[in-house]
Amino acid sequence: MPKRIIRSAARGLTAAILTVALSAGAMAHAETPQEKATRILERVDDMWRGKSSRAVFSMEVRTKRYKRKLSLEAWSKGKDLSLVIIKAPVKERGTATLKSGTSIYTYLPKTDRTIRLTSGMMMGSWMGSHFTNDDLVKESRMSDDYDVSIAFDGERDGQQIYEFELIPKPDAAVVWGKITMAVRKDDLMPIVSTYFDEDMERMRTMAFSDIKTMGGRKFPATLRVTPEDKPDEYTEVVYHKMEFDISLSDNLFSISSLKRSR
Amino acid sequence: MLIKLAWRSLWRRKRRTFITCFTVAGGILLSVIFTGSGDYTYTQIIDTSATMGLGHITVEPKGYNDIPTLQKRMKDASLVRETALEIPRVTAAAERITGMAMFASAAKSVGGVFFAVDPAHETAKINTFVRAIVEGEMPPDSDGRKIVIGAKMAEKLKIGLGKKLVYTMTDVDGEIVSEVGRVSGIFKTGVEEVDGAFAIIPINRVRKMLKYAPDEASMVAVFIDDQRKVDEVGGVITSALGNDNLEVLTWKTTQKEVSGMIKVDRAGNYLSQFLVGLLIAAGILNTIFMSVLERQREFGVMLAVGMKPGSLFRLVVLESLFIAIVGLIMGIILTAPFFYYLYSHGLDLRQLVDNMEGYAVGGTMVDPILKVRLFKESAIAILTGVFGLTILAGLYPAWRAGRQAPVESLKTI
Repeated sequence: MPKRIIRSAARGLTAAILTVALSAGAMAHAETPQEKATRILERVDDMWRGKSSRAVFSMEVRTKRYKRKLSLEAWSKGKDLSLVIIKAPVKERGTATLKSGTSIYTYLPKTDRTIRLTSGMMMGSWMGSHFTNDDLVKESRMSDDYDVSIAFDGERDGQQIYEFELIPKPDAAVVWGKITMAVRKDDLMPIVSTYFDEDMERMRTMAFSDIKTMGGRKFPATLRVTPEDKPDEYTEVVYHKMEFDISLSDNLFSISSLKRSR
Repeated sequence: MLIKLAWRSLWRRKRRTFITCFTVAGGILLSVIFTGSGDYTYTQIIDTSATMGLGHITVEPKGYNDIPTLQKRMKDASLVRETALEIPRVTAAAERITGMAMFASAAKSVGGVFFAVDPAHETAKINTFVRAIVEGEMPPDSDGRKIVIGAKMAEKLKIGLGKKLVYTMTDVDGEIVSEVGRVSGIFKTGVEEVDGAFAIIPINRVRKMLKYAPDEASMVAVFIDDQRKVDEVGGVITSALGNDNLEVLTWKTTQKEVSGMIKVDRAGNYLSQFLVGLLIAAGILNTIFMSVLERQREFGVMLAVGMKPGSLFRLVVLESLFIAIVGLIMGIILTAPFFYYLYSHGLDLRQLVDNMEGYAVGGTMVDPILKVRLFKESAIAILTGVFGLTILAGLYPAWRAGRQAPVESLKTI
């Protein structure tokens, strides 16, 4: 559903945030505003697809019913392979999610079972958060699914920003009616993405903050997703450690390695 | 002579005979209404269930019914459809793909079931969802992105006519695929589980999405004019197709909840009718036995003047036969107005029970208006039952009457 953002978020889970940050760096030349916007976002997309990465991060999920905090470790290789493993709390340690192409597998150490998620489970919540499993899988380019334009160029809240507007193409399998994405002008760091439905009602906000340099790249270390219909709820991801372009074996991303992961 | 005697002795006690005949008539009324409402309701449930996707008869790939998956599909679906349409009693047939899908809007996502259909072949008559459209219309073609969803699903997804939603399913290779659809219609059957989970999608769109060949489908649903003939027509379709990869199943197999429910209900119905019949038979037995005992002296005289015991036996059996006939005539007179009313108007059960709108059995909508129809075979069964039981009730008294020694008979009273 919330592809772009999520994509960013999901990648965020593995390396996404980085990409966003990186992409920002790309936007320097000037063609038509539309082309410029598209080109910049495509850059961002490409940057996301770093060769490989390893991340240590925490995720805090707050809903009406519960609040939980997880420590996780994630690896990614190319655009098709990624693996996320819970490190803490002990109760959930070893629970792993493997993404390979368009398939997602979940491994539960307690039952020693690997489940391949079916299409029906794709919209389910990923580990109880406000991300869906689908968010982790979507791989198409933003510019394939959206018409991009720069909706705002100037000062807001004391910062020079660009605000991109992404309108889904009519045939794109995207639930949103519109996405806006505010990016800092000087270093192209993302500030906030907002997802709208077709009636232009806000549905979800993803805020980026806490810009840091990790693993040699600068990016926002914190991202928080807030559903608009439940303002008290959120999922916050904080990156503690990042490494890029490290050498990872394809074996790491196999079903058998899910079991070994604990 | 014997007939005349039987007829006359029957009317010597007018009131008693009348009451007995009235009991028979009441029994006829009860069983006609019971059986008639059963015949009507079962047919209605079967026909409605058939229009919820699978038809009276389903032609499908072998093994599909046991484990339906989107991987299992039949080739040449349109040829199968045309073959089925040629067969007598077949009123309609439609190719369909069905399976599980996830439906998502910006607000929410819900799991559900989709039916991919060719809108050109779907009519209100063979498709509950078409019949139940309350807003908008069916998609205009089989390639487009238009989609029809249930009112409850629309509510959950917080979308309305013209809005988009994304549906996700697993294609033949096991890949997860998504498409965007626009709501062109909303249906409301009144059954929440159905309105909250079902969607109709144009079939060619789904074929492309799932990587089906242009003529592949999950099934061909076949509809016939009389649900009682499914096995017969199913057999004809099987031999007409002559394809070992396909299976021809009737609603009894494909819609197990419905057929099971009907079986149980029908058994209960028969049992209660049997009990009523037994009570009536006991009443008749009582009457005839009394009249035989009353006339012991008379019978003794008859035997003494040379009547054969066999004739006496026949006399009493004839008497019970007359009771049955008169009872039947009275029964017809008694039942006719009720039957006519229930046949043409029906009894609106919604007045009796609150919240009856959307009453479902085994996931199938049931018309809340109780009506009756009587199949020929049911009518014959009732007639046989009435005559059988009445004559059976007369047998013992008749046997007693013929067995009595004349002297003994004359001695009593």
